[in-house]
Amino acid sequence: MARLRILARLSLRNTLRQARRSALTASAMVVGLALLTMARAIGDGAHEQWISDGVRLGLGHVTVEAPGFASTGSLDDRLDSARVAAAERAVAGLRASVPMVASAVDLTVSGLASSPGSSLPVQVEGVDPGAEAAFSKLDDRRVEGRYLEPSDRLAAYVGAGLADRLGLELGSRLVLTAQGASGGVAEQLVRVRGLFRTGIPDIDDGVVQIPIATARRWLGTPGAATSVAVLLRSSQETGRALEVLRARLGEGGGGAGVAVLSWRQVSPELESAVRIDDFGFYAFMVVLFAIVALAVLNAVLMSVLNRRREFGVLEALGLTRGETGAVVFGEGVLLAGLSGVLGVALGLATTWLLWRHGLDLSALYGQGISLSGAVIDPVIVPIFRPTRVVEAAGFVVVIGILASLYPTRVATRIDVAEALKFDR
Amino acid sequence: MRGSDTHETDPTDNDRTGPEPPVAAVRTEDLWKIYEQEPAPVEAVRDLSLEVRAGDFVAMAGPSGSGKTTLLNLLGGLTAPTRGRVWVAGRDLTSLSGRELARLRLEHIGFVFQAYNLLPVLSALENAEFTLLLRGLPAAERRERVRALFREIGLDGLEDRRPGRLSGGQQQRVAVARAVVGEPALVLADEPTANLDSATGDALLGVMERLNHERGVTFIFSTHDPRVMERAHRLVHLVDGRIESDVRPSGRGSTA
Repeated sequence: MARLRILARLSLRNTLRQARRSALTASAMVVGLALLTMARAIGDGAHEQWISDGVRLGLGHVTVEAPGFASTGSLDDRLDSARVAAAERAVAGLRASVPMVASAVDLTVSGLASSPGSSLPVQVEGVDPGAEAAFSKLDDRRVEGRYLEPSDRLAAYVGAGLADRLGLELGSRLVLTAQGASGGVAEQLVRVRGLFRTGIPDIDDGVVQIPIATARRWLGTPGAATSVAVLLRSSQETGRALEVLRARLGEGGGGAGVAVLSWRQVSPELESAVRIDDFGFYAFMVVLFAIVALAVLNAVLMSVLNRRREFGVLEALGLTRGETGAVVFGEGVLLAGLSGVLGVALGLATTWLLWRHGLDLSALYGQGISLSGAVIDPVIVPIFRPTRVVEAAGFVVVIGILASLYPTRVATRIDVAEALKFDR
Repeated sequence: MRGSDTHETDPTDNDRTGPEPPVAAVRTEDLWKIYEQEPAPVEAVRDLSLEVRAGDFVAMAGPSGSGKTTLLNLLGGLTAPTRGRVWVAGRDLTSLSGRELARLRLEHIGFVFQAYNLLPVLSALENAEFTLLLRGLPAAERRERVRALFREIGLDGLEDRRPGRLSGGQQQRVAVARAVVGEPALVLADEPTANLDSATGDALLGVMERLNHERGVTFIFSTHDPRVMERAHRLVHLVDGRIESDVRPSGRGSTA
């Protein structure tokens, strides 16, 4: 124990001895780690935002639908009223165990929208106006008129691009045509009550929302829905929500004739975008840390080479080669450890500042950032996750160890007799 | 080995097949150290046999390149011989592992270097107590022994100074304190007075003589310094890695 103490004391004092060199080396690690912590928090915030914005316009973090609907999108693969009721009960029960923002029942069908002058293919979404307003951000993208209201019967909320192409204005009549549940073609007259613009052409030029009650009557599907979607407070809860809903609706949802799917399954392109961005981040991190590790390696190695005589003296006085190496190893780990603590602290402080005000990228990207068909808010709010601090600490430990290994090896292989006549 | 103006020491027994040699402070047998280098290998120590009795005060003299420092390194186990054997405190250094050698150096050998070689990050007291600390002595005992020794060799009051704030003479005295505080059987000193002025060198020699006389510590010096040679009890002269002469000047060293 006494020997360990003297080794630790030597490591500490040697680190402090070349204060300027140690500080410069440490600063590389501190800045690197601070950047990593901050970038990771911003990345997590951005991803959460992508996912949140994406699932709001899509089918939520978790969706309950009929098996096969994800691939066919056909009205034939819909939930009947009994399964909708079961799904709604399961979702209501989910609130007790997983933080939720909202849930929404949709009846979506592909069809045609016709004005007196033209017809265009569209996706008609039958929604519950009250629930949808809390779920989707589409009502926030209103450019004219108003969003749907619970009392509406024949109202339509139409993409501005579609309205332009069909020559529609507020109050214009619009005929929706689709294949009904009976197999025959069904038509529904609605009136434009509001126009929205998301900046995403696919949505602006091809989506019409109407009240779900109207859609059910029109298509002959009383009480039916194509999905019961759940919006969670955080995408991190997706796995748990999926588990709870599957348990409540039967294993895999199959028992009750339903499929419980995560946003990853419903929007694989969004999942890919997050993964690709993560990969880019890790690649950047590896490069950054390789540079930092080389800086630490260089500093510790130079320090060892300049102190060969001292290591010779230590061995002459009775230290083993391993103990001499331990002094050097201790110096590297100490430098990395101190830098790690400072780096993470600095990173958390800057993250906190960004969290308070958000990182506004609108100057760079304008208001219309889109990803995989989703409108992305240009103000990114970083997210702090304790696992990221553990991740950063792990990197520091690995760097400290890796960067110290070679100098340690050099120190343990010093020829003592040669080292003692060094500089003579 | 050749005689001199005084009497010669007894020749060392070179017969390996004979009985085990008696325990001496140091003993070497047919010792060679050859450095492989271009254009030709350098034979720094050649077929050297030597025995130093406990409590002796030996100076090894000779021109530069005669093998003095190499021999000290061999005796201290800091470098391995190419051939031959070295015994210190009865133990054959060539048969010891690195860990055993480190332990032997810690417990039986003290080193004094020409360039002092104090550890710059430790204070004078911490430098001097370093080997005691490695041996696991309690702090109070360590401090007491070092302070007593510091008083004895004129370092009182300098305990907390780092080497950079000590004069050359003071640093060398700290180095001597570090070498002897653990009361090793043997102190190997490589030109300990080379960087000191004559007054400081004399004072340091006086310290080492007193430690030799009062504590029975065996000293082996390599030196060019005539003052060291004059005060040595035994003078070994090396030339080209061999013992040119090995004499014990009359009247010096009661154990000769």
